Amino acid sequence: GDSWGIFTFLCAALCNLPALPALNCTEELGAGQSIQKTYDLTRYLEHQLRTLAGTYLNYLGPPFNEPDFNPPRLARAERVPSATVDLDLWRGLTDNARLAANYRAYSRLLCYLRALDGQAGTAELRHRLGHFCSSLQGLVLSIAGVMSSLGYPLPAGPPAPPGAPVAPNDFLKKMEDFWLLKELQTWLWRSAKDFNRLKKKVPPAVVTLRLEARGF
Amino acid sequence: DSHIQYERVGADVTMKCGSMDWDAAVTWTANGTDIDESHLNGSYLILKNVDLTQSGQYSCYEGSSWHLKYQTYLRVGTPPKEPVLLCRSNNYPKGFYCSWHLPTPTYIPNSFNISVIHGTREMVCEKDVFPKNRCHIRYLQLFSTVKYKVTLTVTNALGKNSTTVTFDEFTIVKPDPPESVVAKPVPNNPRRLEVSWQNPSSWPDPESFPLKFFLRYRPLILDQWQHVELSDGTSHTITDAYAGKEYIIQVAAKDNDIGTWSDWSVAVHATPWTEEPKHLTTEAQVTETTSASTSSFMPPPTTKICDKGAVVGNGAVAVCWTAGLVLAAYGLLFI
Repeated sequence: GDSWGIFTFLCAALCNLPALPALNCTEELGAGQSIQKTYDLTRYLEHQLRTLAGTYLNYLGPPFNEPDFNPPRLARAERVPSATVDLDLWRGLTDNARLAANYRAYSRLLCYLRALDGQAGTAELRHRLGHFCSSLQGLVLSIAGVMSSLGYPLPAGPPAPPGAPVAPNDFLKKMEDFWLLKELQTWLWRSAKDFNRLKKKVPPAVVTLRLEARGF
Repeated sequence: DSHIQYERVGADVTMKCGSMDWDAAVTWTANGTDIDESHLNGSYLILKNVDLTQSGQYSCYEGSSWHLKYQTYLRVGTPPKEPVLLCRSNNYPKGFYCSWHLPTPTYIPNSFNISVIHGTREMVCEKDVFPKNRCHIRYLQLFSTVKYKVTLTVTNALGKNSTTVTFDEFTIVKPDPPESVVAKPVPNNPRRLEVSWQNPSSWPDPESFPLKFFLRYRPLILDQWQHVELSDGTSHTITDAYAGKEYIIQVAAKDNDIGTWSDWSVAVHATPWTEEPKHLTTEAQVTETTSASTSSFMPPPTTKICDKGAVVGNGAVAVCWTAGLVLAAYGLLFI
């Protein structure tokens, strides 16, 4: 009851974090910020996630850690923007839209992952989650950097998740965790393809920092 | 009137002569040959523990008039065992195909029915004209979090069986092997071989979904392969070939990020350039290994893919180099 209210507040606070450091960090990271680096980060995270997800799902226990587990998607409002997209639509995304979709998704995912942090079982697992969240924050910043250097505005911070629909029982809460990890995994697969496309369309030489124009 | 009858191997079969009484005098034939009376019980034909060789046409004639009273075609077979089903995407992101076969023959006609379920939606898998036991599906959406569940049911006159496979979109991606692999010696370079190949033609969009490649090569006389992984480009120059030795070379492909490696390409043979006038380019001649001076046979330094100096060829990005970049990127986050 009460803990969910606190959770909502925390999430709102945490969710607004990624936007702020980006304003300072892009100056430091400078021209090094590139699409290639962001691509490499998504690959690194995807590898990290394999181990992390395995451990976390084992912690959730059966049936969540069974390889064939294929539950239907509950008809609740999806908390995280889904990576799933129509093929032609995906192909036709502008660079700005493509980057923005990634930015929004990972900001939200980071927020929910951070919320997992406090509740997870062993200290080892919490440590791993914390480590992964740091890396994921790095990815969000990296995407922000690419957007800034290309002159695109950062999407507004994610709205606080609606307080109302809260997992009524333990099993459904675990189900949400399961889908969160699934969505994260799918986004990392998709991002590799997104950044591949961006790599081809935006040669590294063009990715220069135009901070002056943005008035930072 | 004609008739087909399916029976299991090992079953006992009783055939009645149409509407004839049990005590009528009849003659049975199998494929035109008279059947001995010992197999008869009255006018019924009894076949015990049938085997495959007893398949054929059975006819029953009235004793004296030789009128054909009944005819049936007996097909001896087995109910289907659990079929083998494989689904694969060699044309990502267009879609995937599923192919199947029975582990053991049934010896009688079988029909196959395949169903593909994605979440709550049932998708249609279009049967291929060739090969026969195959169907394909187009993806409606990309980057799906929901698994695909494919069920294949095989049915025949003696029974049915089925199998199900469940998978994520990304796990079944496996390109076809690279095509047109060509290996050539490099003039005036006795340690080099130039290898080039093409993307498999079934891969629809190498621009947005680039492939990476794995090259393996060894001289025919050795068992140990050498490997090079290439993230870019469709050619590579081997620089550490043993002089004068014929090499066997193969290439495999994989989507840069997802799925598994293709099968190995067709093998090509090549021998590095030598000063002597013998040209052992693509013919698989058994080389004069033992007679050649083995003392001069010193293993050259293995092409370490992390050693920048050793890697030659347009855009060959060593794996270690990329790993270093990632670590550097990650290190920056802690500043």
